[in-house]
Amino acid sequence: MSPATQRYDAIIIGGGHNGLVAAAYLAKAGKKTLVLERRHVLGGAAVTEEMHPGFKFSVFSYVVSLLRPEIIRDLDLPAHGLQILPLESTVTPLDNGDYLAGWADPDETRREYYRHSPADAEAAIRFGHLMHHMAMAVKPILGMVPPDPASLSPADLKGLLKLGKHFRSLGADKFHELYKLMTMSSADYLDEWYEFDPLKATKSASGIIGTFLGPRSPGSAYVLLHHYMGEIDGAFRAWGFQKGGTGAISNSIANAARAFGAEIRTEAGVEHVIVRGETATGVVLANGDEIYAPLVVSSLDPRLTFTRLINPTLLPDDLVEGVRRYKFRGSSGKVNLALDGLPDFTCLKGDRELTLRALRGAFSISPSVEYLERAYDDAKYGQFSRHPYMDIVIPSMIDPGMAPPGKHVMSIFVQYAPHNVTDGWNDAKREAFGNAVIKTLSRYAPNIESLILHKQVLTPHDIERITGLSEGNIFQGELALHQLFFLRPVPEWAKYRTPLHGYWQCGAGTHPGGGIMGASGRLAAQEILRAS
Amino acid sequence: MTYDVVVIGAGPNGLTTAALLAKKGRRVLVVERADEIGGHTRAVEFASGFRAPITDDAGWLSPSVTKALGLRDLKAVAPSASMSVAQGGADSDFLVLSTNPRTAADNIRKLSARDASRWPAFVERMNRFASVLADLYQLVPPDIDTTSIGELASLAGVARKLRGLGRDDMTEFLRVMPMPVQDLVDDMFENETLRSALASAALRDIRQGPRSAGTTFNLLHYMVGAPRGSVRARNWFADGPDAFATTVAGIARQHGAEIRTGAAVDAITVADYRVSGVRLSDGSEIAASVVVSTADPKRTLLDLVDTVWLDPEFTLAVSNIKLRGATAYVLFGVSSQMEDAERTFATPVSLTTDSVSLEKAADAAKYGEVSNEPHVELFCPTMRWPQLAPAGSHVVVARVQFAPYALKNAEWNDDRACALMNQVSARIAAVIPGFEESVVHRAVLTPRDVESKFGLTEGAVTQGELTLDQILFMRPVPSWGHYRMPVDGLLLGGAGAHPGPGVLGGAGYLAARAVLRGS
Repeated sequence: MSPATQRYDAIIIGGGHNGLVAAAYLAKAGKKTLVLERRHVLGGAAVTEEMHPGFKFSVFSYVVSLLRPEIIRDLDLPAHGLQILPLESTVTPLDNGDYLAGWADPDETRREYYRHSPADAEAAIRFGHLMHHMAMAVKPILGMVPPDPASLSPADLKGLLKLGKHFRSLGADKFHELYKLMTMSSADYLDEWYEFDPLKATKSASGIIGTFLGPRSPGSAYVLLHHYMGEIDGAFRAWGFQKGGTGAISNSIANAARAFGAEIRTEAGVEHVIVRGETATGVVLANGDEIYAPLVVSSLDPRLTFTRLINPTLLPDDLVEGVRRYKFRGSSGKVNLALDGLPDFTCLKGDRELTLRALRGAFSISPSVEYLERAYDDAKYGQFSRHPYMDIVIPSMIDPGMAPPGKHVMSIFVQYAPHNVTDGWNDAKREAFGNAVIKTLSRYAPNIESLILHKQVLTPHDIERITGLSEGNIFQGELALHQLFFLRPVPEWAKYRTPLHGYWQCGAGTHPGGGIMGASGRLAAQEILRAS
Repeated sequence: MTYDVVVIGAGPNGLTTAALLAKKGRRVLVVERADEIGGHTRAVEFASGFRAPITDDAGWLSPSVTKALGLRDLKAVAPSASMSVAQGGADSDFLVLSTNPRTAADNIRKLSARDASRWPAFVERMNRFASVLADLYQLVPPDIDTTSIGELASLAGVARKLRGLGRDDMTEFLRVMPMPVQDLVDDMFENETLRSALASAALRDIRQGPRSAGTTFNLLHYMVGAPRGSVRARNWFADGPDAFATTVAGIARQHGAEIRTGAAVDAITVADYRVSGVRLSDGSEIAASVVVSTADPKRTLLDLVDTVWLDPEFTLAVSNIKLRGATAYVLFGVSSQMEDAERTFATPVSLTTDSVSLEKAADAAKYGEVSNEPHVELFCPTMRWPQLAPAGSHVVVARVQFAPYALKNAEWNDDRACALMNQVSARIAAVIPGFEESVVHRAVLTPRDVESKFGLTEGAVTQGELTLDQILFMRPVPSWGHYRMPVDGLLLGGAGAHPGPGVLGGAGYLAARAVLRGS
């Protein structure tokens, strides 16, 4: 067979983690599966790249927690290289020179909270329990194909009934709490629990990550919960680093897929999907090669899946309109630094032992709820935040292989950097954005500038350019109530299917979406296998 | 004289409860702290001979309430337009959103042909969505643990109605309810003036901007019962802003209920976890085994009831209710000299022509500040009820958002109130020529004033912000959406309970039914 006309059972477009998960499940079920990745590296937004000689970066996504335990188990990922190193702490430098820390040990965290507010130390225990219950309440939903409430098909009615039973089984109190989390702002929600403002700010930051919302925007509490749903070894709300960077997670899934017989090609960008009548039959690569398969599965976001890979005129108007109004609104940027040494956070007051511990964890630049909210206000009106929220980690502290001896890599997640910045992104604006980040960081770690050996600044525009994610949205579309569950990405097309026979979606733009979770890829593969 | 039931508050809800219970033979006493009945629908005299109601929208009169009260002679008038937007500029043109969709479309066409073509279908769809809420607003809100056959049956009715919308509409209804109104209008329309008109309607009496999720719900809430083609204006009563209250008070009295004004309640008395009556501010006690309070939930449960009778979890939930009054009112007496008043004030007028200004106005409130450029809406009650001002003169009410009740590091005082009044006057002067020269009286009501005048905590006429987390079974607090409060014999029947503000007697009707069912 000539290389231009090979045959497969399934072609997966995009070698991000969801595409790879889908490929692994399909291959495991005996499908001859091919993954096509446009870039030279696998992983999509979960890649490790050496951006400066000897310095390896998790370029985009940098921590992991949400990867579904059943996927780890089904694909035996630890055997293929998955190794999560726990992230031990979060330190928030305060405006008064002090700090607020959360540690892996809950008792130590409570003692620390007590220093700032005895009431909050008390509340933290109950809050932790509640979030655990809420994550448990959501867990079955993450694992189900969303039923369509407007449909009368037996499968949908069964799904709705199951969902109804699940909610009733929670009991009224937990159901109401879940409802509050679905509808409230993270700041309002946390106001009901805590009094120390920097604590509320640091916790509410989880409610804005990757989303064009402020901590006072209704809906942000759901994003907060979304970040609590991660489990590592059965413990919710545990975050960690993958040894070797997030790219190594993608590689472990790819290795699993290969072990099941899947073939994976990089530098093989798909130009478009071949459609005959109302059936997808294969793909055309950028180099003109045609590859055929009865199953074509796109892990790209809904805009690319429905309007770039295929001609949208082949689709119903409702679907095209739904995709058009689907909100991406990338809101975050990334600054990756190669450092000559360790930053000196003044809030740690030169305490060497404390410093070494703290540097193994995250630093959150979230001194107050108002600080975060004002950062959002800048972005609402088309500017990057002058004083942004930042989530900072130094992976080389835990995983020395990431940087040469004595040197370090620092990953700074920054919000807000709106995709639709006024007058568009250009080199000068990227530079100014990077400078705003470094300047803000210098307030807390004054020696940072002198340590920088290399700086990579990524705006949402860059994220889109490099990974293909529309508008640079890291979740393939906002996690807003009107874009979740049976509405994700578009009503009636939330079950991984498309109107074209043989054409499927499996990216984070489908339920449950977002984060290195893999649930979309798994559910899509299961639906495909059920249908074929 | 002894009573079976004491009702606190003689607003539309309290009077409805009183009338319904009196009709069923209960001996009812209504106590009202103000000297007049009507609650927030009563007109306030702010200058000699000039009186103003603070709301342009009396609220929706539901078929259930009409039927239960046996209302017949309340003359309702349908508005010809929902609202207009003063576009300023040399010719001071107005975008008038007429209730006739075709007329509205003609008006919109001057701004955008595309938007004009989309308007009729949009407004009809929104009206259909509002009609689903209308059904829900006449029921006790169903909850996840609902088991009562009656409630399940009525819930099934709502489900049927929802499904009756058809597949597309039903899905769309569920999609738009939690949406930011900004996304709704951006997806639908291109003209900024039109977008801002809808967005402003969605911000009514909440402390949120148009980019906040759930504002579409608020838009739909105030569309419930609005005539077809209207995106907010509901029928008004020919006899006066408080005609509903007056009529229902008449019915209540006719059935033997007693209404006492100038009688402020100091406490709801409790003995052995049971309500025993109320104590008035003059120290007198009135015994009753049932008390229905239409005061807001915080006042009722945290101030009037001694919290020792309440579970701390419940008390906490009540204290977490977000009231967040953020609307101020500037009241103007306008002389007959003003030219063009009839055209200008034929319908409520918004002075905001772009939605970014609305969002920016709301930003300030987040930080406890008054907006630099607040959203101002004008409404002229004397166009409907000339009796509110001396012959030929007018009263104009400016609704001002956002003026938060709680200011950061500051308190409302005369200087701040006066500054707000001047700011609003200047704003109107800039858009409506000839207005300022015709003003003969001015007064301002900050949320503090609304609190003291109407007894509404934090000056919130909503008695609880209408956000998604505070509606239906979450109102007033989760698990207590059935009007009965945890003290035996105490019920909540005001806007703080489902279905909330803007539904005439809606909560009062359901509370009365709860009283009758329970005894």
